[in-house]
Amino acid sequence: MFIKSIRWRLQLWLAFLLACILTGFGVTAYQLQRLNRLHQIDEELDRAVAALAGDVRGRPPFLGPPPAGLPPGPRPFDSGPDFPPRRRSGPEGRLPRGAPDGWLDTREIRLSPPTAALFDNAGTHGLYFVVWSRAGAVLKRSTNAPPDLPLPDSPGVMAATGVRLRQAHREAYQFTEIGECILTGRNIGVDLAAVRRFAWWLVCAGGAVLALGLGGGWLLVSHAIRPVQDIGAAASRIAAGQLAERIDLADTDSELGRLAGVLNSTFARLEAAFAQQRQFTADASHELRTPIAVIIAEAQTTLARARSATEYRETVEACLAAAQQMRRLTGSLLELARFDAGQARLECARFDLAERVQACLDLIRPLALERQLRIASDLVPVELVGDSDRLSQAVLNLLNNAIQYNRAQGEIRVNTRAHDDAVLLTVADTGIGIAPGDLPHIFDRFYRADPSRARAEGHCGLGLAISKAIVEAHGGSLEVASQPGAGTTFTVRLPRNAR
Amino acid sequence: MRILVVEDEPRLLHNLAKALREEGYAVDTAAAGDEGLFKAQNTDYDALVLDVMLPQLDGWQLLERLRQRKNTPVLMLTARDAPRDRVRGLDTGADDYLVKPFDLPELLARLRALIRRTAGQACPIVQVRDVRLDTRARTVTRQGASVPLTAREYAIFEYLALHRGQVVTRTALYEHLFDESDDTLSNLVDVHVFSIRKKLGADLITTRRGQGYCIDS
Repeated sequence: MFIKSIRWRLQLWLAFLLACILTGFGVTAYQLQRLNRLHQIDEELDRAVAALAGDVRGRPPFLGPPPAGLPPGPRPFDSGPDFPPRRRSGPEGRLPRGAPDGWLDTREIRLSPPTAALFDNAGTHGLYFVVWSRAGAVLKRSTNAPPDLPLPDSPGVMAATGVRLRQAHREAYQFTEIGECILTGRNIGVDLAAVRRFAWWLVCAGGAVLALGLGGGWLLVSHAIRPVQDIGAAASRIAAGQLAERIDLADTDSELGRLAGVLNSTFARLEAAFAQQRQFTADASHELRTPIAVIIAEAQTTLARARSATEYRETVEACLAAAQQMRRLTGSLLELARFDAGQARLECARFDLAERVQACLDLIRPLALERQLRIASDLVPVELVGDSDRLSQAVLNLLNNAIQYNRAQGEIRVNTRAHDDAVLLTVADTGIGIAPGDLPHIFDRFYRADPSRARAEGHCGLGLAISKAIVEAHGGSLEVASQPGAGTTFTVRLPRNAR
Repeated sequence: MRILVVEDEPRLLHNLAKALREEGYAVDTAAAGDEGLFKAQNTDYDALVLDVMLPQLDGWQLLERLRQRKNTPVLMLTARDAPRDRVRGLDTGADDYLVKPFDLPELLARLRALIRRTAGQACPIVQVRDVRLDTRARTVTRQGASVPLTAREYAIFEYLALHRGQVVTRTALYEHLFDESDDTLSNLVDVHVFSIRKKLGADLITTRRGQGYCIDS
């Protein structure tokens, strides 16, 4: 379960990495320590072997060390061409002249005092030595040498020092030119124990470092994921419906701070969208409640007592008018919902926009005449691909607006023209204009700059929103410019080859 | 009882006025906020039916300005039913609140209750000596026997009964019983009072010379 938590996963990774690093470090340190120790021992043994070899090779054993600077004294034997000698195959090398037979296996070796001093300490861990003859007979040994010491194998190269580790004994050996073997060694149990102690110390220190590292890691991870937890907590509060909630991070420049900033702006947009949706629902229900109230009140008043046929007729007419208003409203709402959901299907075909606009003008002309409005049109034929019925609806909405908000004996100017890859349609009126404060809202649903006018006309405040949705569904744009008191101009910009 | 209805939906305004008139109220109407405020400030209405969404001056603004000068009972009428809106309406000084679409009988009952309470009368039945006035059914009985009154007669008697113990001037009666379109002559009130006295007893309503009429409590 907790494996799923980032904190625990980080902690496990940290533990794994730390363990690997510490193990590697420990093993390396242990090996270095061990090798270093062995190296020291080997050097000591080498020196001892060299000194011993000097004595064995025939520096006059009883004359003491040769004076410094003098070459070694005459050797008891010369190395022959048949070198290396076969070990234990009898004395075949060249012997000093006049040497008695078997002398090699029995000759006495004397140690010079400095050499002997090397082996003075005859304790368990002191140096010991053994010298074997070519035949394998022990020529000389120190008293502390282990009794069952085996003769080492010949390394094949004379006068080279070999080393071996035999249980707790480190031994260095050398074969002389005539096949005699010189071995020195010592018990390195104490040294190995020291190295082992060092290993244990490493293990303990490693454990402590691991524990400290994990503790520190825990703190670091806690510190690092606190912002994440803050973000998570704020996000869940927002998910629970507190849309005004925001993530509060002190460090806004960090990566998480930027993330919080992005999330906050997302939440703000979400909240705005919700508020808009709420407003829309409230407005829609308000618009629907009024005609319902009319129908109910009319019916209840009329049914309260016996009425004349004329009164019943009036009531039915009022109810019909209210029902038709509701039908218009629900139709518009449905249309908008389709555009919102991207489900509005455009029946696209190539057509001449000017022709369609002319048809729309013919439709509204009686209304314009009633208000004594002059229509000035300049329609340049422009072909484009689009849903001609829907675009006509948008144009009609704009024309109705131009009539509704015009002054008496005003003018409506309509023109179409091509502009680069786009088709432009402008509808301008000479009406009351739109106050700058209202201008950004006129495409909002149910927004009415002047509620009394629109209500009296039976408009519900969705016309411009629908027009905009239609134009935008064609990949175009609907813009408005207005001068209060002078008039308003709507500009429709459509791509020639709309989707 | 005279009532002002402020509502911008013409059909609803027409219908409300009709229904209220049929209930015996004198009804004035206004289709916009500023017009409604002007009328409400310059006439002593017994109650105001006030829509919230109004052109020029919305219901809340109207109420706020009206409350600076008058305590006319106000029944708010609105299509907004969020509790926030209701609270705002009541806190601004509305006496009651009704959400559209409303039930006409409920609206009428609430109006009756509002008017009764304003007159300091919580009970819908008023007993004056042997005469019993039922404001719900709009009937008057004397010693258990029903007395048929014309709508005008009933209105005058109801107003005097609800304000019993007070002297009600002719002007006040006139103002509360006839709406703006009524051009009945003022002395008609005297005719109605004469008629009520004939039906309910001569000494029920006393005339205070130079002041008006009064029903003793």
